[in-house]
Amino acid sequence: MIGGIVLAAAVLVILFAVAAYNRLVDLRNRYKNAFSQIDVQLKRRYDLIPNLVETAKGYLKHERQTLEAVIQARNQASSAAQRAAAKPGDPAAMRDLVGAETVLGGALGRMFALAEAYPDLKSNTTMNQLSEELTSTENKVAFARQAYNDAVTTYNTGRESFPASLIAGWGSFIEARLWEIERAVEREPVKVSFA
Amino acid sequence: MDFFEAEHRAKRRTDWLAVLFALAVSGTVLAVYAAVRVGCQAVLKRPFDALPAEFWNFELFWRVAATTLAVILIGSLYKTWTLRASASSIAVGLGGRLVDSNTRDPHERRLLNVVEEMAIASGTPVPAVHVLPGEAGINAFAMGLRPSDSGIAVTDGCLKLLTRDELQGVVAHEFSHLLNGDSRLNMRLMALVHGILVIGLIGSTILRSIGGSRDSGTRRKVSLSGISAVLFVGASLYIIGSVGVFFARLIKAAVSRQRELLADASGVQFTRNPEGLAGALKKIGGLDQGSKLVAPRAEEASHFFFAEGIGRWTQLMSTHPPLLERIRELDPQFRGELPPVGMEPVAVEQKLPYAAMAPAGAARAIPARPREVLASIGKLDDQHIAYAQSLLARLPQRVREAVREPWVARALVLALLLDRRSETRALQLKAVLSLGDAQLADQVARAAAILDTCPLETRLPILDLSLPALRRLSPAQSQGLRAAVDALARADSRLSLFEYTLECVLRRHLGVQFGTAPRAASSADVSFDRALSLVLSMLVHSGATDAGSAARAFSAACVTLSTSRPRPRLLPRQECSLGGLEVAVSRLAATAPRLRGEILAACVAAVASDGKVTIAEGELLRAVSESLGCPMPPLLPGQQLAANEDSASAA
Repeated sequence: MIGGIVLAAAVLVILFAVAAYNRLVDLRNRYKNAFSQIDVQLKRRYDLIPNLVETAKGYLKHERQTLEAVIQARNQASSAAQRAAAKPGDPAAMRDLVGAETVLGGALGRMFALAEAYPDLKSNTTMNQLSEELTSTENKVAFARQAYNDAVTTYNTGRESFPASLIAGWGSFIEARLWEIERAVEREPVKVSFA
Repeated sequence: MDFFEAEHRAKRRTDWLAVLFALAVSGTVLAVYAAVRVGCQAVLKRPFDALPAEFWNFELFWRVAATTLAVILIGSLYKTWTLRASASSIAVGLGGRLVDSNTRDPHERRLLNVVEEMAIASGTPVPAVHVLPGEAGINAFAMGLRPSDSGIAVTDGCLKLLTRDELQGVVAHEFSHLLNGDSRLNMRLMALVHGILVIGLIGSTILRSIGGSRDSGTRRKVSLSGISAVLFVGASLYIIGSVGVFFARLIKAAVSRQRELLADASGVQFTRNPEGLAGALKKIGGLDQGSKLVAPRAEEASHFFFAEGIGRWTQLMSTHPPLLERIRELDPQFRGELPPVGMEPVAVEQKLPYAAMAPAGAARAIPARPREVLASIGKLDDQHIAYAQSLLARLPQRVREAVREPWVARALVLALLLDRRSETRALQLKAVLSLGDAQLADQVARAAAILDTCPLETRLPILDLSLPALRRLSPAQSQGLRAAVDALARADSRLSLFEYTLECVLRRHLGVQFGTAPRAASSADVSFDRALSLVLSMLVHSGATDAGSAARAFSAACVTLSTSRPRPRLLPRQECSLGGLEVAVSRLAATAPRLRGEILAACVAAVASDGKVTIAEGELLRAVSESLGCPMPPLLPGQQLAANEDSASAA
């Protein structure tokens, strides 16, 4: 009789372990999917920026440094994004990506600030189209980032809460890193307005 | 055979299977009891010749039976739990990757287009689409345990080596699995097989533990007969388990093969193009890898595949009929020659077939006769696909792009709710603004500008197309959407029909994270007759312009109902409210499949009695069929669209 109870208890424990493991796998997939969502938009943005710089080059002849800084920041962010996409949620890769994105945001901001002084550039249709698309992509990135952070938070809470925390050790369920933006200024997407 | 008949037959077949399985389980229980009884006899050192007379020891029997059943039950439950993983987890477990809805890869784009057409044509939301990039063979699978979680995955070979027609055939086959609810049936079968498997596992564990205790020299003095009795019981359990599993697998494989043939047949019916599906199967035959998968976990999901995913040692165990037989079924001319297939990807057709085929604006007419419409529920044919293709071709490119991106799709769906009257619209936009998200309000206004150029009958297809993107919202974002939908719907202080339908669709297909329906009253409080009267009356009123035509439409609906039940009565317009509809429909949804088929037939008759379908009727019908749990192909095409929109609105 006691043997039966022990057996039943063991079976129950196994059932719970399997359910907890499945849930963790599901949550991990979810945040990885959410990251690929950001990745798509980031790629589109990295594709847009060279075109934007190319168009601006004709007008901002004396601002080569600024433009080069934008391109350089874009390249760095692009390779950081590639590394992060290979290991979504990996703390080091995410920190690199967030850092590179911050630099890129700053460089773009300076370029647009300069562009304010050139009325010809401000009325260029290609420039207007590109910057409109850039703004819209920024918004999409922000929205996808929100979804990613939500998914990561659920996953991290899930792997730390009690029964699952025992399992998280042997399933390579490492803690995923949020995409946090530290300063309030950077919370706003880059303002691009030529209207 | 219509959808409900098929559902009914599938249920009967499942019942029949349940009987077979019950026989297998009782056989297992008896065999286990016999083994234990003989074992006891040996331990007690009683003579065996007394056994036939004393075989039945009821107390022992009940104990053994209860234990065996408990073991099988727990084994089945365990398997059910492990199989309950979401569609995307299974695809990801096999090395799959979600195809981004914005993809620019021409092959992936083509796949998404084919899936979208099929979804619109069958009146189901677009499922999530995965690609298994490491797999060069041609295979595909569909998964869908819940409407909010259905998915289709194809291998790289399937994506790149098939022509559009062949790909369409494969996708149609997988849609048939989704519409027939085959995943659920498969899951139940696998769970039962696993339950019996556990008996064999226990037997082999007993055998192994005896072997182990013999090796360790610390063996206690146990009588030889005791050991041999345990050995005997262990070996018997092992054999019983193995034999049971063998038979259970045979049953399961036979069912699976039958479902595959059914899916092939429905796939051809969907596309009216047997060459497409046959071509895909021939390419599997001509390809070196065939349909084999290399992923280590392929065995777990083998029953979901389009063609045999792993090698089998016998035909009886395979989950799919032989390839050549399937081809012959589709192509009577087939002589067994399978030209070898190279590994170079096919070129993606630049010109989309429907762009050439469908003249702009003139969709082919689909008859609105009740019987035919009923027969079309849960399956589709080439007319529906042609209609879906021409509908998609007519959508502005900006809308097609917008539905693929969660951020824009959200705004687009909200914009669908905006009223066409400018003062109401201003009120609604103000309500969105009051939610505190200025960007969202701006985005909704922009989306509305695009939507104003689309015809009204595209509203539901646009909603269906947006669902894959909306499923990618996080729970918090999903709740934000819910709040915005509520704000928009309530801004004009009345709930219109379209608003109600939209909420129904979102609730059913986004799952719990979107939120459940507010329960005004329990569906048990309303009688079946009253519920049916209300639903039919609302449908009649939403289309009829005067009392005479309303009465005609209502009696047309009543004719289709069987006479054994009391006839529903036509309720006056004032008694029809959307709040009451909610309760009534959930009452009707709790009935048997055949009765639901009859109800839906009556609904279609009520709508189609005057030979045309108004937008309001079409949308209300969609809401009803959505709540009854059956996919409803679009009913709008080719019928004159009367513009008495929102005529069934409630205070």
